Amino acid sequence: MRPTGWLAFFGLMLALSLLLGCTREVVKEVIVTPVAGPTATSQTEATAAPVETSTVTSESETENERPAATTAGSSGAETGKVYRIGIAEDLTTTNHWAYVGPDGTVWNGYVLGGSKPVLYGYSAQRFDWIPSLAADFPSPLKEETVDGQIFWTTELELVEGVKWSDGSEVTAEDFVFTAHTATELQLTGDWPTIVDPEYFDHAEANGPYSLKVYFKQKPGLARWQFGLAFMPIFSKSYWQPVVAEAKQAGDTTEQQKALYAHVPDGEPSAGGFIFDQWERGAFAEKTMNPDYSFSGTEVTQYANGAYTASTAGVRDFSAYGEPVGETVLEYTEGPYSESTIYSIYGSQDAAVLALKKGDIDFMLNPLGLSKGLQDQLTGEDGLTTIENASNGLRYLGFNFRKEPMDSTAFRQAVATLIDKEFLVDTVLQGVAIPIYTMVPEGNGAWYNPDVPLFGKGMTRQERIAKAVELLKEAGFTWETEPRVSEDGNFVEQQGEGLKMPNGEPVPAMEVMAPSPGYDPLRSTFAIWIERWLTEVGIPLRANLTGFNVIVDKVFNQQDFDMWILGWGLSAFPDYLENFFHSRHSGLEGHNPGGYNNPEFDRLADELLAETDLEAARQQVFKMQAFLAEDLPYVVLFDTPIVETYRSERIEFPYTETWGGLQSSAGLPGLVNFR
Amino acid sequence: MTSYLIRRVGQMALTLFLIITLTFFLVQAHPGDYASFYVLNPDLPPDVKDRMREAFGLDKPVWQQYFIHLKNTFTGNFGVSFGHFPRPVMDVLAERLPRTIVLFLTATAISFYIGFFLGKAIAWRRGGLFEYAATISGATLFTAFTPAFALMMIWVFAFKLGWFPVGKFLDPLVWRGTDVTANYVFGSMLLSAAAFFAFALLVMLLLKRFGRRVPSLAALPVLLGGVAVMALAWAFSGIGELALDMLKHLVLPVATLTLISFAGTMLLTRNSMLETIREDYVMAARAKGLPEKQVRDRHAARNAMLPVVTSLVYSLIFAIDGSVIIESVFSWPGTGLTLLQAVRSEDLPLVMGAMLFIGLLSLLAHVIVDVLYVYLDPRIRYQ
Repeated sequence: MRPTGWLAFFGLMLALSLLLGCTREVVKEVIVTPVAGPTATSQTEATAAPVETSTVTSESETENERPAATTAGSSGAETGKVYRIGIAEDLTTTNHWAYVGPDGTVWNGYVLGGSKPVLYGYSAQRFDWIPSLAADFPSPLKEETVDGQIFWTTELELVEGVKWSDGSEVTAEDFVFTAHTATELQLTGDWPTIVDPEYFDHAEANGPYSLKVYFKQKPGLARWQFGLAFMPIFSKSYWQPVVAEAKQAGDTTEQQKALYAHVPDGEPSAGGFIFDQWERGAFAEKTMNPDYSFSGTEVTQYANGAYTASTAGVRDFSAYGEPVGETVLEYTEGPYSESTIYSIYGSQDAAVLALKKGDIDFMLNPLGLSKGLQDQLTGEDGLTTIENASNGLRYLGFNFRKEPMDSTAFRQAVATLIDKEFLVDTVLQGVAIPIYTMVPEGNGAWYNPDVPLFGKGMTRQERIAKAVELLKEAGFTWETEPRVSEDGNFVEQQGEGLKMPNGEPVPAMEVMAPSPGYDPLRSTFAIWIERWLTEVGIPLRANLTGFNVIVDKVFNQQDFDMWILGWGLSAFPDYLENFFHSRHSGLEGHNPGGYNNPEFDRLADELLAETDLEAARQQVFKMQAFLAEDLPYVVLFDTPIVETYRSERIEFPYTETWGGLQSSAGLPGLVNFR
Repeated sequence: MTSYLIRRVGQMALTLFLIITLTFFLVQAHPGDYASFYVLNPDLPPDVKDRMREAFGLDKPVWQQYFIHLKNTFTGNFGVSFGHFPRPVMDVLAERLPRTIVLFLTATAISFYIGFFLGKAIAWRRGGLFEYAATISGATLFTAFTPAFALMMIWVFAFKLGWFPVGKFLDPLVWRGTDVTANYVFGSMLLSAAAFFAFALLVMLLLKRFGRRVPSLAALPVLLGGVAVMALAWAFSGIGELALDMLKHLVLPVATLTLISFAGTMLLTRNSMLETIREDYVMAARAKGLPEKQVRDRHAARNAMLPVVTSLVYSLIFAIDGSVIIESVFSWPGTGLTLLQAVRSEDLPLVMGAMLFIGLLSLLAHVIVDVLYVYLDPRIRYQ
């Protein structure tokens, strides 16, 4: 090219650059419009991904004055009353259908939760079942025949005057539209657990605020009260055209894709915040809904179990006893922050540094802070660290299809030999909490304290003696019995030649556990379990391997002896049915060990059909008793959720809650500023 | 040359086919699948799990999945990301690419310039204190454990001294409520950089043409003038503040990358220079009485550039691939961090798409280097 050619080319490039630099891509104006709507707290959001539960205690009138809504972009770099939260991964969608569906990550839940109304939700701290969009509790389920078909039906009224942020009212039609869309499009992910097509038939709006729900068969608490009643409700006026278009997309899979692919623009909210902005990989922001209907709701919880919620001109609600006597929790619903910003960090270390520096007020992580990061934050000025029990457990499971794992005495002996307190206190330096039951103590409403706890509080000597006794009673024999030293500190004589009651030698066994890189706690437990069992003559080898390998071997192939994994748990313990009912013992079922107890199965079936809370509680208590005796799982430990927040800037109405503040997405609707 | 290029393209296609096949079966060999996330949800009925598998295309036999994957890849369709369902993989990669390019291109250009300049200097004054200091410090930084070093940089310069932000590529408080996307600003910045580079090249070309009459220092005010015009344009663009915020966030990761990687170029240049300065033509240049600077820059350094340029081309191409470590530590959501998150969440199409993308780029890099050799060294001829 000749110099004149070069000159023309470079001149063009420079001009283009200047032109681009000077023009501005106009997307749209962000307008905060008035809304009214209840705080959403669904079961999906409370388990798979957390949400705000409700509100804030007022300290003074001035402090609790809600800030005026600001037009986005006007605040510049000023912090103001902006609640800044750090999260470790980006959103994958802003489409709520997709979030409850295949994009059900905890990070999506933190940000997107709380914008959709739900009929019922959980109360703060105690997890009582309370009305949210519903005006009161629903009518009892009754059997009804319509056009020759038998249904189980229930009716309820909605709170009147609750509005979407586009000004339209939240009505029974919105609920009907949402539930019918989920079934018609056969939505995946968590949708079928909320709108279970085996139970839900259809719903009818008998007027704007009257709802009637029809079930194909009698639904228990898990399907209705803790299932469908927790469904996030979508705005029909916004979504109906989108759903109609999606239905033209071909087969069901294509229809689902079309719905999930829709990027909401101006979708109305009925919660305390309106989703405002998402800069991929950097941050997301929700701005305050200035006309949130349930703002200012005064919530009081009493020591006697009573609960009251009073919203001026909207609703006065009281349940679970006479609201008298000592109060245990009082707060007034916000939101108090003009906006909540979720900053995305690539690692926990970076987020912790940002928290220390004051760039963020709180960081959300479903696992809380690791030990090293806790140490980094300890003693930092202006920060407060809190610790809560988490809603999960790690366990040792047995394959009931193989000997000697099918022997109750063998499993009880194994449970007795595992010294959880020693491991947790001495080896793991207190980073975990030993637990014994399938319903953790933190879940107070459903926890049965009166079940046998094998090995609890025993010395090493006592454990071995008890394990030997249990095995002997069941007919196990040794060529050489194990013997403990007189001071009880070590095994003088290791057990050898252990034989099963049928005279066959106990075969070599394997316990699969996640590798130290994935989870050092579970791998440490596996190594010590191998040691303790080998000492009494049980030939066990710990196989520390990848999480996926364990899942594949245990759930997909059922080719294993014992395994160590963990579960996150929901507040309503219907998971007991999922994990231990014999109908789930097939390939890919959630009872891969093959536990089969007809009496337990009967109780589990009753629980699924139970509609009365107290009766369900009694059933869960009995189920726990069976599990504590039969030990299909030896429950090992859980890790507390440790979290830190910038207490010099923000305050919460409460910090003690099962699962930590992250289980309520950091309480954006309740947080207040100092 | 033409027949050589045709042959190379054929080899590339074959290698690409092998890459696609290997990547697919390596990912398949990994135990478990994305659907495990849902399989482990105890509340899901079996038919729903089957529908999930169907939606992700995991219900088909592996060989069938392979041929679908092969067909899709050759038609430019990398599939749909599981983790960002139902966004196409290419869409996710295209979104992350500008961020990685801005970070790594800047760092590569700076580290190459510093490395080449230092390498040239220490080879010319071999045995001096400067050579020892530069070699030892460069080698130390080159071998530093990257995550620890990057965290230390953040701790010192962002946390303790407060000079720079703690990671990320923008400050949400500056960006909230704006109506432009970060990718738009990144794109504008890249275009400005390209235009400025072109402008600088133009100035150099003109200087070379009129070099005998115009002193070389005259380029400086022209270039500074170009910078000033560009800065002015940005200041009035309405997005200048946003670009400035990004630049502020760019400094620390670029400095870290430069410190870690400049030594590679420096040592390569030094070694290449040491070989070149022993050549006869360098001695001849000296014998002709040419100034030392001219002998070093025009006769020795130019001939020593061949391996260095090769290394630069590879660096530039792999800059697009990003770095898992740097992007994680600095919370810079580029292609590296995306690959890491895709692996963690078993987003198989995204993993395969990202790996294929890297494979394709490295194949391209090899061809570019081969072609470049001919132009850099006229002695090289391909048959």
